[in-house]
Amino acid sequence: MPKRDIYWNPILETLPIEKLRALQLKKFKRIVEWAYNNSPFYRKLYKDAGLEPGDIKTFNDIKKVPKTDKGMLRDVQSRPPFPYGDILAVPLSEVTEFRQTSGTTGIPVYQADTWQDWEWWAECWSYILYAQGYRDTDRVFIPFGYNIFVAFWAGHYAAEKIGCEVVPGGVLDTEARILKMKELKCNAFMATPTYVLGMADTARKIGIDPVKDLYVKRITCAGEPGASILTTKRRMEDAWGAKVYDHVGATEIGAWSYECTSQPGGLHVNEAFFLVEIEDIETGEIIDEPGKNGKMVITAFDRIGKPCIRFDSKDVIRWADYSCDCGRTFRIADGGIVGRTDDITKVKGVLLAPTAIEEVVRSISELSNDYQVVVSKKGDIDDILLEIELRPGYEDKKEEILNHLKDQLRVRINLGFRVSIHPFGSLPRYEVKAKRFKDLRKLTREEGH
Amino acid sequence: MKEMKEIEILDNKIRELRKVAEDVMVEGAEIEAVKRNTKRILASITMLELNVCDVKEIF
Repeated sequence: MPKRDIYWNPILETLPIEKLRALQLKKFKRIVEWAYNNSPFYRKLYKDAGLEPGDIKTFNDIKKVPKTDKGMLRDVQSRPPFPYGDILAVPLSEVTEFRQTSGTTGIPVYQADTWQDWEWWAECWSYILYAQGYRDTDRVFIPFGYNIFVAFWAGHYAAEKIGCEVVPGGVLDTEARILKMKELKCNAFMATPTYVLGMADTARKIGIDPVKDLYVKRITCAGEPGASILTTKRRMEDAWGAKVYDHVGATEIGAWSYECTSQPGGLHVNEAFFLVEIEDIETGEIIDEPGKNGKMVITAFDRIGKPCIRFDSKDVIRWADYSCDCGRTFRIADGGIVGRTDDITKVKGVLLAPTAIEEVVRSISELSNDYQVVVSKKGDIDDILLEIELRPGYEDKKEEILNHLKDQLRVRINLGFRVSIHPFGSLPRYEVKAKRFKDLRKLTREEGH
Repeated sequence: MKEMKEIEILDNKIRELRKVAEDVMVEGAEIEAVKRNTKRILASITMLELNVCDVKEIF
């Protein structure tokens, strides 16, 4: 029986499954009723579908509730109240927080939160950080640009809530951040996987060995799937001599999942605060059995300013067929986010997920952390170019490494790649979300319209 | 059973907290400092309700 003090809230995190489902149904009904009564957008959406909140009586009724997606969230922004649109379920005067999505997939979505919503964000993150071992004895560094993107804002507030001492690394550059972490003996930090690896490279450049000269024991990642890709996670853990934990969240949704210190190979879904449904991509049927990929449809039960109900996130996930020895009864998303429906693309007739390439590149220790993939058309034929860097000192083994890489790509991805090797340090470096996958075929198509 | 008893006790205390905070909000409605600080307290009380009171009803 796990000790009770490993949980932020042992009542919810170890709730028996049947009670958990009862709680979810109750909370789902409550947020639908709230949205229907307070958000003109949701009211119209439900009325047009002939749905009244009272129609939801059982878990099976949930799938009758119309889904929402990012396109809808963008469309409502053209209507008052500015800038959020009539999805807002509170008076504008109740909104205390503005954030927006990064706009990676189109026009940014503006996100309104009330103070209660902001407390809720910090609460969701408290579940994450506590499960990853953060306590009131930790000094946590946040090397993040504190801007319009939600990223680690809520991590900051949650760390405070847990009682950690929080050091904001806002406008400092990477070197200054590393020196500050060293000076203050910070023992934890939060960053994207790309930046975690980049910081370690920078530290070594200025003569600091992150393993020997710094004090970091745990790192929390967000923003990219890297911390759930085993080869990338190992690189980060080796580079820092620390445990690396993943979590997944989104501006429009909230922080809905987390890895615990048991590192079971997936992320616990915070099922007391979110309903995650996995839909078959082809048929739309709900998938409850483990091991089958589908797209995630998610509801945040307690976000009131701009409710998020049955949101089609485009993330591809699957339920795990194992439980975790931490004792949490929250189900596990095996391997975290395993892809995105809008990222998975066909190249030479083969379905390709960019995360698969990352997994191969990061498994070869002679390659640097940075790489780039460019898909284009040569006549009628797809061309896929992988640009990589060798770590310093391996130049004379170039051919051997190249052959090994090509073999791995063929075996694990079933595609022949052209590979070009660049001098170490010459490929683009990223601080937040890396954009390593470029599909020029899409650009050509879009320019043609 | 032990857990149920614990939840019940906490639930009662949290309800009392909300009642007191709401009373303060009414009494101090014309004092901005009271109103705004109480609003924050009420948001925190909601977090307690999400963590404890919501569960009580399903046991």
